Amino acid sequence: MRRLAYLAAGGMLWSWSALAFANVPIGTVVENVALPTLTGGEHSLLSDTNVSVFIFVKPGQEHSNQTLVQIAKCEKEMAGKPVHWCAIVSDRIPKAEVAAEVRAAGLTMPVLIDKGDALYGKFGVVLHPVIGITDQDRRLVAYQPFAKVNYGAFIQAQIRHALKEISDEELSEILKPTAAVLGGDASVAHRFFRLAEKQFQSTNYLQALANISKSLEKHPTAAAHSLRGRILAAQGNRAEAVAAFEAALALDPHDATALEGIKGSKENAH
Amino acid sequence: MTKGNIVSQPTTNRDARLKKCLNRIAIYSAAGVILLANGFQATAANAKKEEIAPVPKMRKNDLTPIPDIQKPVSAHSPYQDGDCSLCHQRKDRNDPGMINKQVNELCLDCHDDFAKVMARKSSHVPAKINCVTCHNPHNSKQPKLLVEESEALCLSCHASISNLVANATVKHDALTTGAKCVNCHNPHAANVEHLLTRLPFDLCVGCHGQDGVKDHAGKALTNMKALLAENHEQHGPVAGKDCSACHTPHGGNNFRLLTKAYPAEFYSPYEPKLYDLCFDCHEESMVKDAKTTTLTKFRNGDQNLHYLHVNKDERGRTCRACHEVHASKQKHQVRDAVPYGHTGYMLKVNFTQTPTGGSCDRTCHVTRSYTNSVAALVPPKTDAEPPKAP
Repeated sequence: MRRLAYLAAGGMLWSWSALAFANVPIGTVVENVALPTLTGGEHSLLSDTNVSVFIFVKPGQEHSNQTLVQIAKCEKEMAGKPVHWCAIVSDRIPKAEVAAEVRAAGLTMPVLIDKGDALYGKFGVVLHPVIGITDQDRRLVAYQPFAKVNYGAFIQAQIRHALKEISDEELSEILKPTAAVLGGDASVAHRFFRLAEKQFQSTNYLQALANISKSLEKHPTAAAHSLRGRILAAQGNRAEAVAAFEAALALDPHDATALEGIKGSKENAH
Repeated sequence: MTKGNIVSQPTTNRDARLKKCLNRIAIYSAAGVILLANGFQATAANAKKEEIAPVPKMRKNDLTPIPDIQKPVSAHSPYQDGDCSLCHQRKDRNDPGMINKQVNELCLDCHDDFAKVMARKSSHVPAKINCVTCHNPHNSKQPKLLVEESEALCLSCHASISNLVANATVKHDALTTGAKCVNCHNPHAANVEHLLTRLPFDLCVGCHGQDGVKDHAGKALTNMKALLAENHEQHGPVAGKDCSACHTPHGGNNFRLLTKAYPAEFYSPYEPKLYDLCFDCHEESMVKDAKTTTLTKFRNGDQNLHYLHVNKDERGRTCRACHEVHASKQKHQVRDAVPYGHTGYMLKVNFTQTPTGGSCDRTCHVTRSYTNSVAALVPPKTDAEPPKAP
């Protein structure tokens, strides 16, 4: 059931099935292993109690080098969080070469040496760099391949989601950001509204009326109708002002300016 | 202002108009300089306050209003209404005085929806600190009050892109058609890095998701939306919606705007440099080691079949011989058929995957099977050449 939930969440956010490690699908409990490290001694791939982040990299490859830089930045920015970090490199790459790239990137996490590409084969790593994230139960919850754009944001979001710091919706917004389209009628209408507002304040009623009409033409809102009502009322055109306030109330029955405008017009009429 | 236009006016009128025009230019030039100075003061102040990265050097513009005779195509409403005092000290067109506030503060007074826009994750430094780097607050011969034609305006600061565009042997028409740079970038701010309005894939399929699109050289391009709708086994970067992992959008020197080298033909001698693109993500050892039990599942026992197919001094099969680069119906993007020769003949691949290996039916060679199990090896057979294209 839990595995299904993970798969459903993954499917909602990304085409996970196409991205997962060939031999370890999302939702799988990953076996923990201890591997020798670049600086000597051994280090475990995963934590049995915390979220773990492991990165298969090949120092020397352009994308891997970019990943080392990004992940070093993440490591620094997420310092103090309960995350178990490690990078994994093949024992084919000379240690000195790995050490130089790791140093250049500013990476401080342990770098595990994968003898004979055993772990690489076990996971079925097809592309690298690739980042795997497991939860407290060592269950693979996310997979993040290299991305040329928004990579750092993707990595941090995946980790924060595993830490339950952000919701599914927040993760989705980061993985699929809202389009940043230019302008649009509502935006143009708002600018005419603001201009009309200023011209109304400076008693330039004629131009204020012209600009609020342009605003209404582009995108009618209750606020724009109300402002038109105020301008018309200031010009002494009570009948049209009331009509404008009524148009505002048709869009928003609680529009305070329109309610006040109608009240004022009635009082003035008496 | 053309000579013909001036000559066509009566002399007295012409002199009067010219004098008036020069007066206005002098006044507005002064105003423009003040406007710019204010902008840069604001820049320095903000940089200090927020400890932001050093501000890049930005272009300086002549913000003088363009005389009607030069036929401006866009005008700022307050300027058009003659309402100078909305921004300046006085309403007098001939003597408006200084502006009332710092440049962007003044702009955001009316364009207050921009506060929300500029709060997006990635913002353009000039938009953040000085709107008049790109816009003339009075009028312009360009749409949107731009101080220069949009592409030229962007490239006047982005020199490296300018060089890339000028020197690329493979061009991308997106840069020179439609809204040009703004086809993909939002010049103010965006939720995606590099001010991209959407993630790369979503931007690309905006054009490459329809039939009839041709490249700069006139060659028909695949409708990617249709291809991906029918083929669910996608290459990692495609599934990750990251076209820019393999393609360079501003232009380049490899076919199909690929970022690095990739063999264009069915056959190629094995030379790692020709596969630079693939080896940015894939393990080179996968085609370099004759024997493996970890690097690939395309092996017969420990005999590496990728090595067998690709790693040859002369007629090595390139990736495209068996794999679709974007997506296919079979796992590992194994293709159903591959174009062979130059007649459009499609050579069937006939690959079938099994739980422990797979097989290829007769096409390139006689039917062959393989198993990943070292204990249950399928006897190796000799290689054979593919049939000749009809």
